Amino acid sequence: MLHLLKIDLKKMTSYRTFWVITGLYFVVLLFGGLSGMEVLKWLKRTFEDFGGDLNINRIPLYHFPDIWLNIIWVAGLLKIVLGVMVITSVTNEYAYRTLRQNIIDGLSRSQFLFSKVYTNVLLSLASMFAIFIVIMTTGLIYSPNTSIQWILSDIEFLPVYFLEVFMFLSYALMIGFLIQRAGLSIIVLLLSPAIEAIITSNWIQDYAPAIVGFFPMRALWNLIEWPFPRYAFQEIKDYIDFKTVAIVVAWIGLFNYFSFLKLKRSDI
Amino acid sequence: MNNLNLEVKRGQVFGMLGPNGSGKTTTLGMLMGVVNPTAGNFTWFGEHPSHHIRKRIGAVLEHPIFYPYLTGQKNLELNAMIKQCDPNNIPQVLELVELTARKDDKYKTYSLGMKQRLAIASALLNDPTVLILDEPTNGLDPMGIAEIRQLTRKIAANGKTIILASHLLDEVQKVCTDFAVLKRGNLIYSGPVAEVGKGSETVSVVAEGEAVHELLLSFAGTSSLARDNGSFEVSLRDGFKSRDINQFLFEKGVVASQIVAKRKSLEKQFLEILADS
Repeated sequence: MLHLLKIDLKKMTSYRTFWVITGLYFVVLLFGGLSGMEVLKWLKRTFEDFGGDLNINRIPLYHFPDIWLNIIWVAGLLKIVLGVMVITSVTNEYAYRTLRQNIIDGLSRSQFLFSKVYTNVLLSLASMFAIFIVIMTTGLIYSPNTSIQWILSDIEFLPVYFLEVFMFLSYALMIGFLIQRAGLSIIVLLLSPAIEAIITSNWIQDYAPAIVGFFPMRALWNLIEWPFPRYAFQEIKDYIDFKTVAIVVAWIGLFNYFSFLKLKRSDI
Repeated sequence: MNNLNLEVKRGQVFGMLGPNGSGKTTTLGMLMGVVNPTAGNFTWFGEHPSHHIRKRIGAVLEHPIFYPYLTGQKNLELNAMIKQCDPNNIPQVLELVELTARKDDKYKTYSLGMKQRLAIASALLNDPTVLILDEPTNGLDPMGIAEIRQLTRKIAANGKTIILASHLLDEVQKVCTDFAVLKRGNLIYSGPVAEVGKGSETVSVVAEGEAVHELLLSFAGTSSLARDNGSFEVSLRDGFKSRDINQFLFEKGVVASQIVAKRKSLEKQFLEILADS
């Protein structure tokens, strides 16, 4: 297992584009996560321009336990960058024909797939770890209550964040294997939520509203909900429900399985 | 491919010949696991094919393929990881193909000849039992072709089994022990190279005189006569040798300045085989 991961990392670590993209991703993740207060201050100034007033001290952005969902939701927006990296990694292998040479040299098709999947796991774990650092740092700085039970409450969003990123990367990987061209794959990836929304809202919603939650992008959306309405005194879903987790895990399995099928069946 | 049945034995240098589009690369692709056969099976070393067996085979199919942004050295290291072989083999294969000086340059900076040589180095990394070379001299200049020829001979002399798909029939005749001819997916001939020379001989005669043409035609051993740039190409019937034509001309008072017995070339037989099929 580690052997396959090492093979893929050897390909990636000498690739400058890899360092630029993942570097930017982690830098933005870290610094963006740490800059929440600046955003709030800007928001306050905007409100003041309109003659209103916003007491940002009453918005518990960085307070435990809310902080888990708040920061994780925002961090989830960046997964698209990693998705682009994964697509590039796969489509390069088709463009350079190195996939063909890897197979000739003695890598099996499933080993090739696993090497990419393990890299996805690594990227997801690294994201989770980075977000953990951000949350612990800002939480301990800003949160008024740092007792252990407050810190640990809502921590379940963290492993769920891993699932969110990993599912998205599995989806990106599959798109890369199916389309095999970088540009087109990235566009399809970017437009996926929109395409899915069009399908569900136009056809599914009217006839079978119950299955809307089973669509992949919608499942991701349901997994970690937009948390800020709760500060405008609205109810949001600030918990994890197992049904959505199960759907996400199932999609992870399916996306990787489809990648495997495509790889196995095609002539390279 | 149409019902292709072939057997390659250990130690043979097996040439695969055929016009473009005859299925040489497709066949090799199936053997190396990149093309899915619609029907049929094959074995390597008597065993069922698997990716582990592919590690014991070194193959260069059509074009050298490497990661352009990696150096020659790193590409070989990656290949050593895939083949699960000792990376200490790398310096000696680089030495063999004379790329040691350029090993730390990015692959995209290599000339075509260097790329081909790196591909051969990569194929030799695991000291493979079988080496498959598909048109290794594709696109090379004459010096490159000569280098690859020497390399192939050196490797063959070491006892490796080589499967060589090539258009350079001269090379194939010099290096290969056996060959097969493919045409449009069909196997139309298979046999040893040594048998190619057997049978009728062609003698190239250069002689002065007006009546030489008719004289040669009247010779009992002539099956056909052609004029080629100042010399007469005489195809002899079975049983007649070049010394017979030498004796005949001398008895008729003609002294030839040149009589060269030519072994039948593979090229000639190849074109004949293709024309017959």
